[in-house]
Amino acid sequence: MEPIIETKNLTHTYVDGQNQEMTALQGIDLSIAPGEFVAIIGTNGSGKSTLARHFNGLLTPTSGHCLVGGLDTAIEENLWTVRQTVGMVFQNPDNQIVAAIVEEDVAFGLENIGVPGPEIRPRVEKALAAVDMLDYAKRAPHRLSGGQKQRVAIAGVLALEPRCIVFDEPTAMLDPRGRKEIVSTVLKLNKEKHITIVYITHKMEEAILADRIIAMEKGRIVLEGTPKEVFTQVDRIRGLGLECPLAAEVANALDKQGHQLPPIITHKELCEALCPSK
Amino acid sequence: MSIQVDHISYTYMTHTSLEKKALDDVAFTLEKGEFVALIGHTGSGKSTLAEHLNGLLHPMAGKVLVDGVDLAAKTPEAKAARNRVGMVFQYPEHQLFAETIYEDIAFGPRNQGKTEPEVEEAVRSAMEFVDLEFDNFAQRSPFQLSGGQMRRVAIAGVVAMEPDYLIMDEPSAGLDPISRDSIFGQLRKIFEKRKMGVLLITHSMEEAAQYASRLLVMSDSRLQLDGPARELFTHEREKLEALSVDVPESVKLAEELRQQGLPIEGTPITKAELIRAIDKAKGWKAC
Repeated sequence: MEPIIETKNLTHTYVDGQNQEMTALQGIDLSIAPGEFVAIIGTNGSGKSTLARHFNGLLTPTSGHCLVGGLDTAIEENLWTVRQTVGMVFQNPDNQIVAAIVEEDVAFGLENIGVPGPEIRPRVEKALAAVDMLDYAKRAPHRLSGGQKQRVAIAGVLALEPRCIVFDEPTAMLDPRGRKEIVSTVLKLNKEKHITIVYITHKMEEAILADRIIAMEKGRIVLEGTPKEVFTQVDRIRGLGLECPLAAEVANALDKQGHQLPPIITHKELCEALCPSK
Repeated sequence: MSIQVDHISYTYMTHTSLEKKALDDVAFTLEKGEFVALIGHTGSGKSTLAEHLNGLLHPMAGKVLVDGVDLAAKTPEAKAARNRVGMVFQYPEHQLFAETIYEDIAFGPRNQGKTEPEVEEAVRSAMEFVDLEFDNFAQRSPFQLSGGQMRRVAIAGVVAMEPDYLIMDEPSAGLDPISRDSIFGQLRKIFEKRKMGVLLITHSMEEAAQYASRLLVMSDSRLQLDGPARELFTHEREKLEALSVDVPESVKLAEELRQQGLPIEGTPITKAELIRAIDKAKGWKAC
């Protein structure tokens, strides 16, 4: 199947405040398949968000290519289609909400792309239902909790029916309850609606849910694989300034004491390894 | 020496249809030299409470006393008392404003009426605490730094005022693990050297368990639990759950191991404690 997002030797440079040329991304080769759930991890400043902004043409490569659904994002005529293919959800829900009523906020994007009036309401309702916010359609967004606001922001993107949604640290500003709401919403969109997910995060307990993890450092992809392949390399991940799920770190520490354990990243796997009788 | 929160209540937008009780009869004491974590979900009243501790808001009932001085009084003593409470807000890097890092950190001490040599001394020592090398960074613009560095400058600006009490509202929000560990390492160092009273507002049970000796849990505008972290995570599990407050991951993992038949003792509230507990349960000797 044709990849939904593909980058070929993508490099992005910019000029900083002191007139020095900085390289934010260096030779990124990446291919994301339709329906895939990919997590991108890396420290602040590793290039994660810059890369994500290429996926819907908010930024274009200084050299190399970024193709979305086969279309080059550097060609301006492609941008409408590119942006309808890939939607973005950002960190701060307050910056993404424009209207005073939830359903109007979700309708905003649809009106913008010229969807005919009678089609708008069913699409808004469908999008709100998908994020479990239909009961709040007539409410004022600013009186909702952080997790609810972020779900409204997701509905606004979802109403445009993108094939892929890029989430840039969507839970960073939320409390644990809000975080759970967003994580289960994202999983549902991926598993039930088969929307391709690119999920940027610092939280390893969220990255572990992805099909594939990409780790970045200084504008390059330095590690890639399934959660198990990535998170069993505890020392490597620590070296990148990140951390692994608790079970993987505990298993690593026990391993260093000389106790042989199979590859472990989840609580269940640790329990099975340490309590073999059951 | 303490901040005494004496049965305070506060309501937003009184006498309107949007009236909302944010604090309802909250009472506790934060001693100087104590490291306390305040947890609770969004909207539980944590930030409103924090804003009472340095007099940004005054309670509608009850009192906040800093070293015995009522913050709501309009006296020079009350002003001096407010000055002893440093406040690091959420995303404090949004409040950086000066052209150089030096000027930004110097703003607070200068406002306190310190002489220029004293200001420089305060800036130097605050920068040292947050690991920003004076000669390298003092004259640079704060806006050219990474997010983690900007936050350290903002924290240095509060530390430079040499507060006796430090209130921090989610200082690690949005930071990667390495920046988070470095900020907490520095906070620990400042705390140990100056023996301030610290109130850390956080959503992370790992942070609360690792750094604080005592936890305050808020929900529905009220202080629902107050006690040592280990005790709450051991004996108040049901109540924490009812307040939708998590327990540290290591506590959950220990419980799962115990259910599967591994005799884990006690409540390991950090990763290191969990590893020791597993070693002990398996009869392994840690090298």
